[in-house]
Amino acid sequence: MFYLKRILQAIPTLIGVTLITFTLFYLVGGDPAFQLAGKHASPELINEVRSQLGTDRPIHHQYLSFLTKSLACDWGYSWQTNQKVNHMILSALLPTISLTVPAFFIALLISILISLASINLKTSEQISWINHLCLLFMSVSLLVYIIIAQYFLAYRWNLFPVGGWSHGWSNLSFLLLPWLIWIFVSIGPNVLLLRKLFLQEQDKDYIKTARAKGLRDSTARWRHILSNSSPTIVTLISMQLPFLITGSLLLESFFSIPGMGSILIDAIQSSDLPVIQAITVLGSLIYITLNILCDFVYSFLDPRVALK
Amino acid sequence: MIRCLYLLFLVLMGCTRSELSNEIVIHSFLDANVPHLDPIHSTNKYSSTINSAIFEGLYSYHYFKTPLELQPSLAETLPIISADRKTYTITLKKGVLFQDDPAFPDGKGRELVADDVVFSWKRLADPTNKALGWWVFDDLIVGLNTWRDLLRRGKASYATPVQGLKVIDRYTLQIQLTRPSHNFIHILAMPPTMVVAPEVVRAYGKEIVNHPVGTGPFALKNWTRNSKVELEKNPNYRPAFFPNEGWDESQFPSAKNYAGKPLPLADKVIVSIFRETQPLWLSFLKGDLDHGSIPKENVNQVFSGDKLSPFFEKQGLRILTQHRPDVTYITFNMEHSVLGAHKDLRKALAHALDKQVILDKFYNSRGLVAHGPIPPGIDGYDPQYENRLDYDLEKAKNLLAQAGFPGGQGLPVFDYQMPNVSSWSRQFSEYLKEEWGKIGVKIKLEANTWPQFDKKLKTKQASIFDMAWMADYPDSENFLQLFYSRNISPGPNNANFINRHYDDLYLKAQKLPPGYERNQVFKQMVEFINEEVPSIFLIHRFFRLPFHPWLKNYNETPLVYDYYKYLTIDLNEKKKIKSTLKKP
Repeated sequence: MFYLKRILQAIPTLIGVTLITFTLFYLVGGDPAFQLAGKHASPELINEVRSQLGTDRPIHHQYLSFLTKSLACDWGYSWQTNQKVNHMILSALLPTISLTVPAFFIALLISILISLASINLKTSEQISWINHLCLLFMSVSLLVYIIIAQYFLAYRWNLFPVGGWSHGWSNLSFLLLPWLIWIFVSIGPNVLLLRKLFLQEQDKDYIKTARAKGLRDSTARWRHILSNSSPTIVTLISMQLPFLITGSLLLESFFSIPGMGSILIDAIQSSDLPVIQAITVLGSLIYITLNILCDFVYSFLDPRVALK
Repeated sequence: MIRCLYLLFLVLMGCTRSELSNEIVIHSFLDANVPHLDPIHSTNKYSSTINSAIFEGLYSYHYFKTPLELQPSLAETLPIISADRKTYTITLKKGVLFQDDPAFPDGKGRELVADDVVFSWKRLADPTNKALGWWVFDDLIVGLNTWRDLLRRGKASYATPVQGLKVIDRYTLQIQLTRPSHNFIHILAMPPTMVVAPEVVRAYGKEIVNHPVGTGPFALKNWTRNSKVELEKNPNYRPAFFPNEGWDESQFPSAKNYAGKPLPLADKVIVSIFRETQPLWLSFLKGDLDHGSIPKENVNQVFSGDKLSPFFEKQGLRILTQHRPDVTYITFNMEHSVLGAHKDLRKALAHALDKQVILDKFYNSRGLVAHGPIPPGIDGYDPQYENRLDYDLEKAKNLLAQAGFPGGQGLPVFDYQMPNVSSWSRQFSEYLKEEWGKIGVKIKLEANTWPQFDKKLKTKQASIFDMAWMADYPDSENFLQLFYSRNISPGPNNANFINRHYDDLYLKAQKLPPGYERNQVFKQMVEFINEEVPSIFLIHRFFRLPFHPWLKNYNETPLVYDYYKYLTIDLNEKKKIKSTLKKP
C-alpha cells in the first residue's frame, strides 16, 4: 500500500518536471528550426523545418506528444545528430556510470573510514586539523584539481593517459585519474558531514552506557555508531545517485569520456529538444525510483521506521 | 599489493596500444563532436573532415596550391560548360568502387555510376532528410525545387526524373542550371554533394548516419561518439596519386619524396575529440597527437615574438600558418529605428574603434586588419585597398554631432548581443562598451547561449552584435551575399541591409565570368558597403598550428577537408624524437 501511494505521488511530480522542462525550453531554448535550417535559411525553409519537427503545432499538442513519447520511453531521433535518442543515451550511460559509480562508492567508503577513525580525536588541535583539511579540499574547485592533476600526473610524470576512451577493460587506464580526482574532491565534504553524524551518535546515552559496561571501542564504532547512522548515509547516497547518472561534465570533457554530460551539453547548445526531454524525464524517474528504494532500505536498516 | 596494481595498470595501458610497429597511423584531433556521418548534413568542419575521408565529390581542391585550385576527384576532367554557362556536362572516372559493405551483394563494393550522383543529389533535396546542406542546390538546378515540392506532397518519388539532372550514359551527367553560375563547380567540391550508394541508404534507412559507405581513401573502422573516430585505408580506393607540383619547397621540404605516390599514404587515422584545450595541448606535447592546437594561454610560452621560443625550437616543433578565408565583423541591424536611419552614427561607431588594438588584444596579433568583407586568398581581394574608417576619435565625435547626437545626447542605450557566454566574448564586448563610451554611445551587454543568439538574429531582435563569416566556397560572392537584400534574416544578411544599387551590382557580378571586370564590380560593392556601414569589418584571422617533425605534408587548409590522405609519418623520426621530448 505504501509503495503504491509513493508511485501514485510520483505521477504529479513527473508531470511537473515535464511541464517545467517544456516551458523552459520554449522560453530560453532558442528555435530549433533556425538551427536546423542553417546559416542560409529562408523563411520558407524554416517553416518547412518547423512543420517537420512539429513545432508549428499548437503548444498543448506538442506537450501532449512529448508526454506520450515519455510514457512509451521512446523519444525518437535527435534533431541534431539524427541518431536514435535511446541509443545515444544507452551508449553514453556506460562510460558515465563507469566513471561516477565506482568513484562515488570508493570516496564514500574512504570517507566513512576516515570519519570513524577520527571521532575519537582528543586534542582540539587534531580536530582543527581535520576540519581545516576538509575545508581546504572543499574550497578548491574541481576544475583546479583537474588541471593540476592532468598536468602533473598525466603529462609531467606520465603516470596516466591524458584522456581518451577505448573498449572494455582497457578503459580502466583512462578512468584511474578521473576516479582519483573525484575521490579527492568528495572526501572533504563527506568527512565533515559523516564525522558530525558519527559524533552525534557517539554522544547518545546507549553508546555511553555500552562503553561504561566495557564494550570495545571498535565494536561501538562498527556495530552501533555506523549501523545506527546508516539511514542518514543512505539518504546521502540517494541524494547523490541521480547526479551519478547525469555525469560529471567537467571530468568527461577534460578526459574525453563520451558520457551523458557531453550529450546533454551538446543538446542544450543545439536546441535538441528530444535529447533534453529524454535526459530530464529519465533523470527524474531515476530520482523518484531511488527515493522509493531508499524508503525500503530505511525500513530494512531500522525496523522502527514503519512504512505507512 | 601496490606493485601488483601498478603492473595491472601497465598491462591495461598496453591493451590500448594496438598499433603494429610498421603501421603508419596518423593521430589527429577535432575540437568538437562529430554529430553524424552523412554528407548531406556536412556543413561544419567536424563532419566535413571525417566525411571527406570516407566519401568523395566530383571535384576537390589541389592540396598545396593557393589560391585554391579545383581539380577532378570523381569526375574525369573539369566540366564542359555551355556558352550560356547554364549547362554543365561531367564525365565520371571509370572503375571507382564503393567501399565493401554488407549492403552490397556479397558485401563487395560496386562501381560508382552517374545514377548514384543523381540519387545523392536528390537525397540532398529530399525534404524528409532535413539536409543541412540543401541550400547549395536551392533554386539552382532546373526542376529540382519542383521535384522537392512534389516529393513533399507525395506526388513524386526518386524514380521521377528531374529536368536539370540528366544521365547521358553510365558515366556521363548533364546538369542544367536555372541561372548562369560560376560557383557551381565550387559547389560540386563541397561535402554535401558527395556521392553515396542508393542500396546502402536503403539498407540502413535512418541509421545511415552511423553507416558511412563511400568511395573515399578511408573507411570507417570504429566510431565512439564524443570520443574517437578510427579510419582505415580503403583497399578499394581508386588510383589517386600525391601531387607532382604545387608546394612551396621551403615549407614542405619532404613533399618531393612523396610525389606521384599512391594515396592514401597512411594506413590508419585516429581522430580524437577534445572538448577542452588543455588535454589537447598536453596530448600533443606528449607526442600522442601528431598535430595540435595552441591554447591562447600558452601562446606566449610557445612564441617569443613571431618566432618559436628557444625551447620549442630545440624540440623541433613545426608551425603551419593557416590563413582562414574569413572575416570577423560587428553588425548593426538596419531595421533599428535609430541605427538604420543614421549613417553618420554608424560611421562614428566605426571610427571609434582601433582595429589594430583589437587584433593585438583579442586575436594575439594573429590576423590582418580587415578593410572589407573579402579576405586574402579569395579572388577579388585587393591588398592595396584601405577603407576610410580609420581610428579617429575626433572624427567620430564630429560625425555623431552631425547625426544629431552631440556627445551621444538623445541616443537610446543600444542592446549589444554576445554570441556566447565565453570570457573572450565578455571581454570583447566590455572593450566595445568602453570605447564607444568615449564618444558618448552607450550599449547594454546581453549574454546569450548560441541558440538564443541565433534566434535573436534570425528574428531581427538584435541591435548590434559581432560574428564571423567563414567562406563556404572560395569566391568573393560568398562574402558579398551577406548584404544582398534577398538574404535578409533569417538568411545570412543579418544586418537586414536592403539597397537597390547594391543588389544591382550583386546581380551584375553574378552574370560575369571570373576576371578583371567582375573584380571591379566587387570593388564597387566593397566601397559601397564601407560607405553605408551596415557592418564594421574587423579581422581576417590566421592560425598557427603546431605539428611534430615526424608528421609529413601537413597542410590543413580551410575548405580542403580531404587532407588525411596526403599525411604520413616518418616512423624512425617519430621513434627517435618522441622518446626525447622534453617538458616545458
